Amino acid sequence: MKLRHGLISVDDHVQEPPDLWAKRLSKNRWGERIPHLERADGVERWMVDGNPLLDGPARAAALMADRNHEPTRWEEVPPAAYLPNERLKAMDEAGVDYSVLYPTVAGFAGQNFAGIKDPELELACVQAYNDWLVEEWAGASERFIPQCIVPIWPPEVTVAEIERAVAKGHRGVIFPAVPMDLRDVPHVAGPEYDPIWAACARLNVPLCLHAGASPKLQYAPYSGLAPALAQALDAVTKPVSSVFILGLYLFSRVLLRHPKLRVVLAESALSWGMLYLEWADHQFDHDGLAREGYELTPSEMFRRQCYLNAWFDEIAPFEPYLGAEHILWSTNFPLATSTWPQTRQTIEHCFKSLPSEKREMVLWKNAASLYGI
Amino acid sequence: MEIKFGLISADSHAAFHRDDFTSRMSSKWGERIPHVASTEEDGKRIDGWSIYGGPPRGDVCNCPAVMGDPFPTWPSVWEEVPSIAYDPKERLKALDIDRVDAEVLFPNPPGGSYYEYGDVDFEFACVQAYNDVLADWRRVSDRYLPLVILPYLSDPKVVAKEVERAVTNGHRGVNVAGKMPKGLPHLAAPHWYPLWDACQELNVPIHFHGSANLDTAASAKKWSGYTVRQAHSASTSTSAVTPAQIIPHFIFSGLTERFPRLKIVFAEAGIGGLNYVLAACDHEWQNRRLWTEGLATRPSEAVRRQMYVNFWFEAEGIKLREDIGVGNIMWEADFPHVASYYPRSWESIERVLKGVSASDRRKLLYANALGVYDIEATVRPTETSSPSASF
Repeated sequence: MKLRHGLISVDDHVQEPPDLWAKRLSKNRWGERIPHLERADGVERWMVDGNPLLDGPARAAALMADRNHEPTRWEEVPPAAYLPNERLKAMDEAGVDYSVLYPTVAGFAGQNFAGIKDPELELACVQAYNDWLVEEWAGASERFIPQCIVPIWPPEVTVAEIERAVAKGHRGVIFPAVPMDLRDVPHVAGPEYDPIWAACARLNVPLCLHAGASPKLQYAPYSGLAPALAQALDAVTKPVSSVFILGLYLFSRVLLRHPKLRVVLAESALSWGMLYLEWADHQFDHDGLAREGYELTPSEMFRRQCYLNAWFDEIAPFEPYLGAEHILWSTNFPLATSTWPQTRQTIEHCFKSLPSEKREMVLWKNAASLYGI
Repeated sequence: MEIKFGLISADSHAAFHRDDFTSRMSSKWGERIPHVASTEEDGKRIDGWSIYGGPPRGDVCNCPAVMGDPFPTWPSVWEEVPSIAYDPKERLKALDIDRVDAEVLFPNPPGGSYYEYGDVDFEFACVQAYNDVLADWRRVSDRYLPLVILPYLSDPKVVAKEVERAVTNGHRGVNVAGKMPKGLPHLAAPHWYPLWDACQELNVPIHFHGSANLDTAASAKKWSGYTVRQAHSASTSTSAVTPAQIIPHFIFSGLTERFPRLKIVFAEAGIGGLNYVLAACDHEWQNRRLWTEGLATRPSEAVRRQMYVNFWFEAEGIKLREDIGVGNIMWEADFPHVASYYPRSWESIERVLKGVSASDRRKLLYANALGVYDIEATVRPTETSSPSASF
């Protein structure tokens, strides 16, 4: 590992180019169902299987002149969003050594292909993304840490894709945390999903639950709100919706059944975590759950297996309770909420009064050990 | 009023007498009037509240804190409900036993959601009866701080008028559903401006309680694999998210700009929501230059100016009171519900406020509430909120 800047960003997003799926899926077999950009009234958007996939060609607001406006046509998409070599330059500018990658068109939480009704098309789209990311990004530089997306159901297909992707070089598994919100599949808390959690533990790759897997976890803005304000509102209600996800994975015993499973709550932010865990423990005591077969309290499960992901929060107030070893840092490049181009200044603000040893843990050591960098 | 003990509960629950609605509503509503009715389960009588002619449902009273051992127990028939829960004269004794000066009163069965039946006039009649019951509590003692419930289905001007009527009769705040009832405009829609305007002008805070009805707006799908206790733990603790799901609507929809003196209280949702809201809203406001979009005020300023959260168990959270805002936190008892520490509230307070200065203790335990609820009070020098006081 070569560390020049001392920062591993655990949550950044690649921008899938217009020809990604067209190049890798059989035109004969899938025809117009292949994910592609469609233009109407001078505005482009992504379509799959006759349905909208992403409103607009890309998400790259941090790189735009006006952060409140996303590109509307592919020509406007800044190269640092989709070209690995341009991305590396941006990383150097922001002082980022390694970048852990999440999708955009495939969904920030890897959720978008779960809506496809044909499981074979879902799998083909997922595999094309996973192959492309390893070949085009991880192949361009070891500073990119690729993570695979998965077909959400059935579990044996999910596991097979995880195994295939990890063998190809993927280092983490992006799973939309609430698959039952995306398609008619069993509740994620149930034992049906155990083979997936077991596979992640066995292959020693973190399970990455990125915020925003389902709009049902967030209180939607008033429809009359100006777009810039609605987007800002969404950006605030999204990270904290991870409370629901963490609660689900703690109380349903997923972590107790899979003690080696490591869970990253990407784009979760940090400052809600302490109160939530204190409350979960309090409620656990109050309801007498120790007598119901839990060998650990919620905060103990958290401190054994979970990671929160901060990017604008101050660390020092929460670190004593959460544990510095359970906090990760990211830049969220190139989304509107990203600290780009103020990453270094933001870090100085957020890490004030934190001892350098803990600062290093949050900025890179935890991520290095989690991803085996 | 007089502050004798140095403690105000910003979240307790009134309880209702079985005749509270039948004695106040027009007989034209007949069997639809909320009343206690019985069913049988395994040959045993079970009481619940029948509303709008429906089968009796829920608890006849939610009051485990006054039911004795084994804790928690809920009454199954009306005769088991202790009068100390629902009789405002009797209940003053409970306040004295627990050494609480005053309490803010949220609903209890038959509840505050009469909109469910889709009948505007029926809802309005129930709401007025409910608000009148609690105005009568206030006539018994100014230690009661009742909250208005709203006739959501009525014209917003009528809603505002009901608030005004109830406040004139002694109510000191308004309870609001975080997600407006189905079919009504969004919480942030201009439809509700007359309501916010009335609350601001009358200087009564609005309140969101627990999950604040958000289960239809923002929640994880319930899992059937939990036991009753597990489901309770899992769902109750996720109420931690409520302030962080609701406050951003007030900020980014421009409501805090439009109603800068509207006070907003989050009850039984913990105190940590504000940490997140302060950091996240400021980050997005700064990052997206939202002053160019009409939001002149930095969100954290609006939050500190207008938002309040309540604590009851948060020994760790209270260490962050400076970050949250010492002036934005109040104590809550949740009496007589299951989370209540009655009759040992002060024991829990000593545990949670260990090491907190006398001046901060006073703010958290009653002085902030005096401000939020605009209460004129004389404070006895022997009030026990100071840790050095002996009791």
